[in-house]
Amino acid sequence: MAYQENEKGFVETMKKFTIVMLILIGIYLALPILATALYAFSTEWNKTILPEGLTFEWIRTLFQDTRFVEAFGRSVLLSGGAVFISILFIVPAIFVIVLYFPALEKWFQASVVMVYAFPGIILSVGIIRFYSGTSLPMILAVTGVYVISVLPFMYQGTRNSLRNVQGRQLMDAAELLGASKMDAFRKVLLPSVYPGLFVSSLLSFSVLFGEFVLINLVVGSRFETAQIYLMTKLSTSGHIASAIVFVYIVLMGILTLVMATVMKKAKGMRRT
Amino acid sequence: MSNVVLKDVHKQYQDTHVLSGIDMNIEDGEFVTLLGPSGCGKSTILRILSGLTDATGGNVMIDGKDMKKVPPKNRQVGMVFQSYALFPNMTVYENVAFGLKMRKEPAKEVAEQVEKMINLVGLQEKKEAYPHELSGGQQQRVALARSLVVRPKVLLLDEPLSALDAQIRKHLQVELRTIQRELKMTMILVTHDQEEAMTVSDRIFVMNQGGIAQEGTPSEIYTQPKTEFVANFIGRYNVFSKEQLGKLIGKNAVVSADKYAIRPESIHLQPQPSAYKLHAIAGDSIMNGNVIRTIFHADNKQFTTEQLHHQASAFEKGVEYPLFVASEDVIALS
Repeated sequence: MAYQENEKGFVETMKKFTIVMLILIGIYLALPILATALYAFSTEWNKTILPEGLTFEWIRTLFQDTRFVEAFGRSVLLSGGAVFISILFIVPAIFVIVLYFPALEKWFQASVVMVYAFPGIILSVGIIRFYSGTSLPMILAVTGVYVISVLPFMYQGTRNSLRNVQGRQLMDAAELLGASKMDAFRKVLLPSVYPGLFVSSLLSFSVLFGEFVLINLVVGSRFETAQIYLMTKLSTSGHIASAIVFVYIVLMGILTLVMATVMKKAKGMRRT
Repeated sequence: MSNVVLKDVHKQYQDTHVLSGIDMNIEDGEFVTLLGPSGCGKSTILRILSGLTDATGGNVMIDGKDMKKVPPKNRQVGMVFQSYALFPNMTVYENVAFGLKMRKEPAKEVAEQVEKMINLVGLQEKKEAYPHELSGGQQQRVALARSLVVRPKVLLLDEPLSALDAQIRKHLQVELRTIQRELKMTMILVTHDQEEAMTVSDRIFVMNQGGIAQEGTPSEIYTQPKTEFVANFIGRYNVFSKEQLGKLIGKNAVVSADKYAIRPESIHLQPQPSAYKLHAIAGDSIMNGNVIRTIFHADNKQFTTEQLHHQASAFEKGVEYPLFVASEDVIALS
């Protein structure tokens, strides 16, 4: 009896400790974000604990600056384009390999590891040296690298979804019911794995949207993205830089919310 | 005419022979079971029949037509998978209607057939539910309805009941057999459960290591196993070597074979006409529902007896008893 009470007391203490630790970590992570967001809306914030006043001036200025809008657009175009190309070419390859040639998966997995193994700086030097002497525009070379660099997200997401719904059996079942391979893929498999694919795409997009090293070193200001624009603003206006970060956080927040909603509502992601 | 014929079917993956020289003749409207341990090649036969896997050699014929160049979608073969393979993005109704829609049946016909099939498997209340909202048994019924609605010539069942609990499994075994008789459809079931095979089949093919160890009716398979493997796999037979049995019942009784099998329920405490007598020491008794299983020891050989619970004699552990086996119950194995 005494042992059980001791154990119960220990569990309670650990529970409280865990909650306190989580709150502390949460504060540690949230404070810089909150401070940045608050700075984006502050008139002055130099000598006081809280901002002296609040304003939408910096956000308004930011969106009135065509350079920002263009940079933002380029980021969306570059990241979205790379993800689109990946969906168009890499995802079908993943489907075929996972469903019909699982023995080849080890090569895919090796490619995925290589993506993690090469830091941006090494990649950029390699790309500059290899493509600078060719007629290929460097932005296209970077797009190609982006397509490959999202391989881990696209591969893991697609493969997990396919395994979760037992994709091969769904294809087999559909074919035995009279569907062609294309019909089975379009009407059964794709809708079943769509939530996983969608989430992988959004994740890839958000990662590429935040990428700075490669684009800055290879293309630089010739193709100003949101991240490069942010770098230039860091030295001129802290308020504007904070406003850019705030817009970025809002965009990522929306993407995360969409991902969470899709996952929650996804019928196809649940195992039957 | 035989509905399904396999002639000398082989399947090889690199150096591994999965199937070697399979010959089968399955009659129209017959319920056949492929029974065997995991990895014996029984599911591979179903995949070859359905066209999902190609045979390395041999012929598969359905209704006299060679299936070599016929793709799965045109074979008119249905299949119920172990994991059901229900389409998670579709409701019960949509799952069942899928095959008919793929065959471009008129909408009115689709609706009628689907309703009829959903009623047959007793899922009227669940037709708008998604697969993840159903229990295992209900999912299995949907899978069955989905395969049956397109009226396949042959329905293949790949361990469809193995993931269900014992009670639901037994209920569905009976239901499956009833539906098969009602529709007079040729069905081929794959299972490693000998009780299930006995319950539902007209004929059983016992498989081992890529070949057919024995075929026959459930009664033939159970009462006349031909090999030690079948005797062990089909019903807890006591298998004795010639020497072991000779010591127990006398050398004159065992002459024709090297191994012999005796069913546990064929060993009696009461004297039987024209029976062999043996002496053995009783060990532990285990109650298994309506059957009491007792372990006996004699001459370093252990064997079991089975008695119906309400007719059982109580054996005292460590005491020697005289036991009787009818001569026709001593089965010579090849």
